[in-house]
Amino acid sequence: MGVYEVFIKRDGREEFRHVGALEAATDDLALVLAREGYVRRAEGDRLWVVRRDNLIVADDDFVTPNADKPHRHHDGAAVAARRKSAREKSHLTNREQHSRAGE
Amino acid sequence: MSVSGGVREFLLAFADDEHLMGQQHTEWIGVAPFLEEDLAFSSIGQDELGHAALLYEIVLGLDGVEPDDEAVDALAFRRASSDYRSCHLVEYTTHDWAEALVRHWIYDTFETMRWQLVAESSLPELRAVSKRALREERFHIMHADALLDKLLCSDEAGNRLMASLDSLRPLIGGVCEPTEGEAAAVSQGVSAASTASLLPSLQEAIAKRFNTPEHVSVAAGISEPVSGAVAKRLDTPERAEQAVEGVQCRRTVRSDDFGPLMTRMREVLDYDPQARW
Repeated sequence: MGVYEVFIKRDGREEFRHVGALEAATDDLALVLAREGYVRRAEGDRLWVVRRDNLIVADDDFVTPNADKPHRHHDGAAVAARRKSAREKSHLTNREQHSRAGE
Repeated sequence: MSVSGGVREFLLAFADDEHLMGQQHTEWIGVAPFLEEDLAFSSIGQDELGHAALLYEIVLGLDGVEPDDEAVDALAFRRASSDYRSCHLVEYTTHDWAEALVRHWIYDTFETMRWQLVAESSLPELRAVSKRALREERFHIMHADALLDKLLCSDEAGNRLMASLDSLRPLIGGVCEPTEGEAAAVSQGVSAASTASLLPSLQEAIAKRFNTPEHVSVAAGISEPVSGAVAKRLDTPERAEQAVEGVQCRRTVRSDDFGPLMTRMREVLDYDPQARW
């Protein structure tokens, strides 16, 4: 018996997504079992099964060292935070000026 | 178009086989040899139940009855046992998974041939159901073949499967046994040929699949002794020729396993017969 990872996708823009895994004795059986187990309710239009042995898997510590490098993110979060802080600072400064003027 | 009682009986035999086979397959949920097989086998059983429901609807249509859920249930579950037209293979209580798997392969192989007989039927609704069913049967056979490909190569599993084939052999001929009035279904173009005409192809397929000498299978189809009552029913030469001999009496006689099977099937319905679903 081998373990197979199951992927399905709907036609259109959706990408293949992992939906689960199963055990089967042969590739044919894996396909048949994946069909009944994962797409019998028409959850997808395409089906892949991949033998887990055939996956090229990276070690955990191969990936984790990159978790603390926010400068590599391009979602603008760092810039947005900096601008927000600058805005608040200048707002505060303006209020201070107004209150001084009112004295 | 007007249809004869023979057509009705032909469809009923087809529907009853699908119904009982579907029920038997779904009973493996939770107890099949491995989790994925639980799902797969019961899912296949559901397909067969779906075919049965569609065939019962056609029968009700011929009867002039609105085929709502109550009417389908009544036809499927509430007939006297002598009014069923199932073959004994689908009534048979299997003793283990090996028998269930061999029966699954034999039945689905036969079923595919049977759906092909009605693919060009003169009944439009039957043609439509055939198209859908044939699409599904392809996967049912793939499922059975994938398991058999692997298991027949192993000594222990192979021996158990071959022993199962031997225990099922006396029931194989009965699968192809036509109902009394089936000739009407053929003459009216509902079916392209008699169900009995499928026996040689079925035997050939079994011999090829299980690598057994064909004459063994063919002989098995007619190995049952013909009782007096059966002999009387088959008194004309053409009947005798068409009949696939057995103890089914043209599918009018139920086997011992039918009663307990029907009790299991009706269990929930009988719990509260007045309940609406």
